[in-house]
Amino acid sequence: MIKSGGIRRPQLVLVVDDQEINRDALEVILGEEYGIICAENGQEALEMMREHLDALSIVLLDLRMPVMDGFEVMRRVQADEALRQVPIIVLTAEKTAELKALQMGAADFITKPFDTPEVILARVGRIIELNEGRKLIQAAEFDALTGLYNRNFFTEYVNRIFQFHPELHTDAIVMNIEQFHNVNALHGRAFGDAVLQALGGGVRAFLEETKGIASRYESDRFAICCLHQPDYRALLDRFQSAADAVSPGAHIHLRMGVQPWQEDLEPTLQFDRARAACNLVRGDYQHPLMIYNDEMRARELMNQRLLNGLRSGIGKRQFQVYYQPKYDIQCDPPRLASAEALIRWKHPELGMISPAAFVPLFERNGMISDIDNFVWREAAGQVAEWKRKYGFRLPVSVNVSRADLFDPRLQERLVRLVEENGLDYGELKLEVTESAYTDDAKGLLELIRRLRASRFEVEMDDFGSGYSSLNMLSEMPLDVLKMDMKFVRNIEKSETDYQLVKLILGMAKFLKVKVVAEGVESFAQLSLLKEAGCDLVQGYYFSRPLPAEEFEKLIRQEIGTERKKAQ
Amino acid sequence: MTIQELYGKIGGDYEQALRVLRMDKLLDKHIRKLTTSGVIDRVLEAGKSPDPNELFEAAHAMKGVCANLGLTRMAEAASELADEFRPGTGRRLSDGEVADRIRRIGEMYRTTAEEIRKYEEG
Repeated sequence: MIKSGGIRRPQLVLVVDDQEINRDALEVILGEEYGIICAENGQEALEMMREHLDALSIVLLDLRMPVMDGFEVMRRVQADEALRQVPIIVLTAEKTAELKALQMGAADFITKPFDTPEVILARVGRIIELNEGRKLIQAAEFDALTGLYNRNFFTEYVNRIFQFHPELHTDAIVMNIEQFHNVNALHGRAFGDAVLQALGGGVRAFLEETKGIASRYESDRFAICCLHQPDYRALLDRFQSAADAVSPGAHIHLRMGVQPWQEDLEPTLQFDRARAACNLVRGDYQHPLMIYNDEMRARELMNQRLLNGLRSGIGKRQFQVYYQPKYDIQCDPPRLASAEALIRWKHPELGMISPAAFVPLFERNGMISDIDNFVWREAAGQVAEWKRKYGFRLPVSVNVSRADLFDPRLQERLVRLVEENGLDYGELKLEVTESAYTDDAKGLLELIRRLRASRFEVEMDDFGSGYSSLNMLSEMPLDVLKMDMKFVRNIEKSETDYQLVKLILGMAKFLKVKVVAEGVESFAQLSLLKEAGCDLVQGYYFSRPLPAEEFEKLIRQEIGTERKKAQ
Repeated sequence: MTIQELYGKIGGDYEQALRVLRMDKLLDKHIRKLTTSGVIDRVLEAGKSPDPNELFEAAHAMKGVCANLGLTRMAEAASELADEFRPGTGRRLSDGEVADRIRRIGEMYRTTAEEIRKYEEG
């Protein structure tokens, strides 16, 4: 590691004195430690300061000089933001001038005739050190792009506002740019930076009119702590205009979440809520503003409760796997061909919880893999048990979530489950959701190829629910396509939908992929699908998802039918 | 004549000068410059005119140079004169007393300049 002292920048000292003897005296004292440049009067000094600004560590300034005196130099330096960063030590023989010099911004003074060299060196060294430290703090304090506070300083200052100015009652605002990574990808990083810069400028201008502070919290997230505003929609519009000014055609969309001041609400929590509100309107371009409310609070508490309960729930067997049959409808009567394993949560206090309430939540928090692994284990064990108990082979398909796709040991886990339970690979089918393809097509293709190489069968779930592409169909080495239930729902009434279903079935046939129609609820739907050549059907027409014990009735029924057929 | 011997002759504080300028080479440079820079001539010239500001500026500059060079007596005389004409402060000496101080500065300067000339000649 290089210690920070070893990456000190070169230090240059400007000595300004009309008397050569003074310049020489200071040069011999300071020359061993610092680079020295000299000026004979104030005017020359200002020119040299501008020329050497980057390297200049300090100015030693005489007060009485021809052309321009030291006081005038200090006045001009104070008025110049760049020059003001360089500390000035005044050289003076007059006690009376000291106070005035300090009031005008001098960092210290050295009396003439000069003190011992050690005193001069010590004073110069100390002021340089202080200033370097101040500069480092300043660099860390502000985000260079937007001029707003960096996260840590912002957090500290917000805490101070709450602690020392509780009378201010400040609101918390969090603002994001929609799909900022795409803005960068489409228009380039420089454009993205220009947008952030413009937005920073807009926020700074706003804060000149009201009490408050702001930060570019991270990447494209801005946080503002300010006095209550009467109209947050107007404020968002104002910031939107600042962003649009960069390039109106680029369609930058902001979204904003606000948590108004509340008695006894900690600043961290206040900003967490503003952020939650902001996240809630992600992608909702029509309603980009959300003020945190009680309903959100209740939902967050519920979500937290569910998240907290997941691990112990698995341990305490609150989760249960249900099975929904898939029937082969090209046989007569339809034959029980396989089943889909579906998770259910019987919460000790909340009762039965719909997967719709917790699956998306666990997906967002990366905890869905815990559920998936549980389902895989249970399903594999169940298939083995039915095989043992009834001599009946019932393949079960399980969901593989997007989060699982990133698990480098996924294949190994699945292979082990199959082997430990003495199954063949076709008995544990894998359902991958269509949207995973849009997230990372290349990664998904690679994984599916590997899984199929291990002889697993892969089914594409929810086909047609999102942005399906023909490209995906032709690229993806699939075994089964699960047609989303919305296609089936209207086939009785809508000729278009029926034609669409036929089209999908035709394509699948061409690609030699079997199709499962989901959500089949009526005999009419079943007949139409059968006529159109659909292979398999899943839905309430045959059965809702059932616990394993109840599902066994279907197996027994199936065995009975097979026996009858055999006779 | 060495520079140390010169300081002995002009009644200067060699140690003080060396403390400020650190080396004989610089002492040599600036003691030679004393007679050519005009810093003391400016005081003598200002004494002839009634401009108190110019007298203050000249005396102030002389005070600094002489103090750094360890020419203590001349520095003190210049300091007294600078204090007398410092802007914003009241006069304490009469014009006659001021003229007397300037005359004494002239005398000290002449003696010192003479010794410096001898020093320069080796």
